[in-house]
Amino acid sequence: MSTLLTYISINDGKIKRSSLEVLSRCNELAEKHGLKSAALIIDQDPAPAAETLKTYGPSVIYTIKNPIFKNHLNTPLLKALSTAVKQIDPRVVAFASTEGSKDILGALAANLSAAALADMSEFDLTDDGVKGKRPIMASKIISAVEAKGTPVVLTVRSGSYDVVEKQTDSSVESIDFAFSEDELKVTLKEIISASSDRIDLSEAEVVIAAGRGVKDEEGRKLISELASVLNAGIGASRALTEGGAYDPSLQIGQTGKVVSPQLYIGVGISGAIQHVAGMANSKVIVAINKDPDAPIFDIADYGLVGDLYKVLPPFIEELKKIKQN
Amino acid sequence: MKFYVCIKQVPDVNAPLQIKDGQLVQDADRNILNAYDASSIEEALVITEAHGGEVEAVLIGPEKAKETLRKALAMGADSGTHIVTSGDENYDSFAYAKILATFFKDKEYGYILCGKQSQDTDSGLTGSMLAEMLNLPYSTNAVGLELQGDHIVVKRQGDTGQEMIELASPGLVTCSNDMNDPRIPSLKGIMQSKRKPVDTIALSDLNAGISEADTKTNILSFEEKPEREPGKKYEGEPEEIARQVAQLLDTEENVI
Repeated sequence: MSTLLTYISINDGKIKRSSLEVLSRCNELAEKHGLKSAALIIDQDPAPAAETLKTYGPSVIYTIKNPIFKNHLNTPLLKALSTAVKQIDPRVVAFASTEGSKDILGALAANLSAAALADMSEFDLTDDGVKGKRPIMASKIISAVEAKGTPVVLTVRSGSYDVVEKQTDSSVESIDFAFSEDELKVTLKEIISASSDRIDLSEAEVVIAAGRGVKDEEGRKLISELASVLNAGIGASRALTEGGAYDPSLQIGQTGKVVSPQLYIGVGISGAIQHVAGMANSKVIVAINKDPDAPIFDIADYGLVGDLYKVLPPFIEELKKIKQN
Repeated sequence: MKFYVCIKQVPDVNAPLQIKDGQLVQDADRNILNAYDASSIEEALVITEAHGGEVEAVLIGPEKAKETLRKALAMGADSGTHIVTSGDENYDSFAYAKILATFFKDKEYGYILCGKQSQDTDSGLTGSMLAEMLNLPYSTNAVGLELQGDHIVVKRQGDTGQEMIELASPGLVTCSNDMNDPRIPSLKGIMQSKRKPVDTIALSDLNAGISEADTKTNILSFEEKPEREPGKKYEGEPEEIARQVAQLLDTEENVI
């Protein structure tokens, strides 16, 4: 029986929610088309994640274990994926769209001589491949696309599908994989990571995004306070990450992260299309900006026209009260 | 050290767009150098200005795309190659990567730089496809490059932080526009660009052997993104509107 294979991204031992979204979609498609849904974990210690995955419905969980996968490195990951795909022979290899999967998607497709579709917002199977939709032109346009052949490799935007829990009697199969350091022409020297205890922006239920209007330390303090009241992830527009006020990994937009939280609050954000491309799928959008003509108000469900330095303190106070009750 | 930079002419995403009968209609005059490629050119120039070397820009595209190659030369690239297509080809990333792989097959270089994606389609596939076809080590989404002796150190933006990667030569790097601010060509640069060597190769003469099987994906149609329902604007006393919206987020939206 043909397989739909979902690659499971793991971060600090935790499965990324966006991978479970993709797996849930593959489970649904497998049922609809009479196929098998399987998951693939490539990690230094895949066992705990494999155990967790049993509640999310794959009939087989393939694992590749090697210490080299402690950190993201494209050369060994590519080799592992290629090995797994050749053994499993799936119709589709689906990834959540992350910096890690974007790093290898093209190379994997070239390696397998397979069709690749990046950053899909929906996908389904056809008789001889995959069809679906993906946003283009800074997410202003949706293009309908198709890919032919076996396998098709694809990445899926976070927030495109819901996670559906499904208790299954999954079997776990380990795939043999060897990698020698000699094969490594790319050497990871170090990872510069900002504080690791903060909330993962792409997974957060609530996101606060700071824009150019957040001018100083006082503004950033208000952002932090608001984020801590709502247990939110903090993101920023390109102006602020470039200016050094926020870490580059926090940039939301066409070049940065795509977020799709339940609640997005843009503070001092004008709403340039490059930013909107990364947050337009948020469920509820709140914008605070003193310019009543700021484009962000065209897409905001709640637009507060006012100086953020005057609006945020009472807003934070009120939210604190609501939280306490 | 020689740097090749792969560049592409793209429609300006800020220009007005229309969809007619499922096809995208763009203002033909609003074509620009892909911003990520501009950053790649800039970075190659910064490195070669500091350490010596040479920068060649390579562009695949129809005759009219030559102006974009000229822009790269005006920025400071030493030479260019234009692989001329008819503009009617229905190629995808895989086919373009194969054309580039054919071009680079017998070339010698330190590194190939590419934009991490193109601004119009945002796929971000061609760079790493090309690296795999040429069997080169590569790194994507670079936000910084530093030449250290005979190899470069790439700072790439990963999922949780920035990764510092030593990349052997020859290799390939795809660049983010967060890497630098590409220079605006000076008048002198524009004048000089007219005398810089440009090698023009017809795609058919390259013998890349592109067949139908090399275009593995197709765009079927285009549609406008469904507009969000316009919400409500709150103006007035900051205290007042702040409390009002906070309450609504709790009672109406249930997201607090």
